Amino acid sequence: METLPLTEPVLLILLSLAEEPRHGYSILKDVEQMSDGRVCLSTGTLYGALRRLLEDDWIQRVEQKDTSRGKQAYRLTARGRRNLQFEVDRMKQLTRLANLRVAAKEA
Amino acid sequence: MRAVYDWLLRLYPDDYRRRFGEEMGLVFEQAQSERANQGPGVLTAFYCREIAGLFRGAWQEHLREFSNRRFAMRTQFRFPKTTPILMALILAGVVLAIQKGAAIQASLPDVNPPVGPIHQAEHGFLPVIVLLLAPFYAAGLIGWVILFALRRSGSHRLDATASGQR
Repeated sequence: METLPLTEPVLLILLSLAEEPRHGYSILKDVEQMSDGRVCLSTGTLYGALRRLLEDDWIQRVEQKDTSRGKQAYRLTARGRRNLQFEVDRMKQLTRLANLRVAAKEA
Repeated sequence: MRAVYDWLLRLYPDDYRRRFGEEMGLVFEQAQSERANQGPGVLTAFYCREIAGLFRGAWQEHLREFSNRRFAMRTQFRFPKTTPILMALILAGVVLAIQKGAAIQASLPDVNPPVGPIHQAEHGFLPVIVLLLAPFYAAGLIGWVILFALRRSGSHRLDATASGQR
């Protein structure tokens, strides 16, 4: 099961799916774009993460009758969205604390 | 390069490959065609990343499958639910027997009864045969108990499970 805190690739995949359902290639592109080219996922890494997220019911496959099997789309489940929100809140708190500490040191 | 990629996908467990293999191949093709326009350096880095990702992913999936299979085997060998009750009853019987023995010992007078002269026993043919065969009886009994316990644990179903998976 995926546990908090999430790894950066998993967080970026979830953020990519938070906006809208996406196919595998669309997720790859979006992750690369969100991280300014810093995180380039291989297909092996992407589908390993997708398999775990599917298994933990954080994401689900979108039922599409008119698409081929190769163009499978994924979307966040309610559980996945809730856990993503927890992680974002945790990071916000961490960032706020880090800013306060750094500012205090500089002063 | 797609053929090489498909061949490397064989490193993954069968279930995983059936579920994601075709999709992964398609995504790989799309990413490859995009990288091909960005120069040979970018394309080479892409291939290296993909191959490394496949090896790492296949290794992780096999580890996961192995751990799941090991867990499944453990459930086959678990004791039946009645075992704790039977064990508790046996333990209670042993404790009661010890207490009873202690009570009998306490009730007897603390003297050694007179022991008469001990004569050497004269064995006939039948007792000798029985004594000779006693270890075999015991071995047979132990074997039967083991088989009974294995049958109760459900391990005989493992063969059927293994043949069913094939």
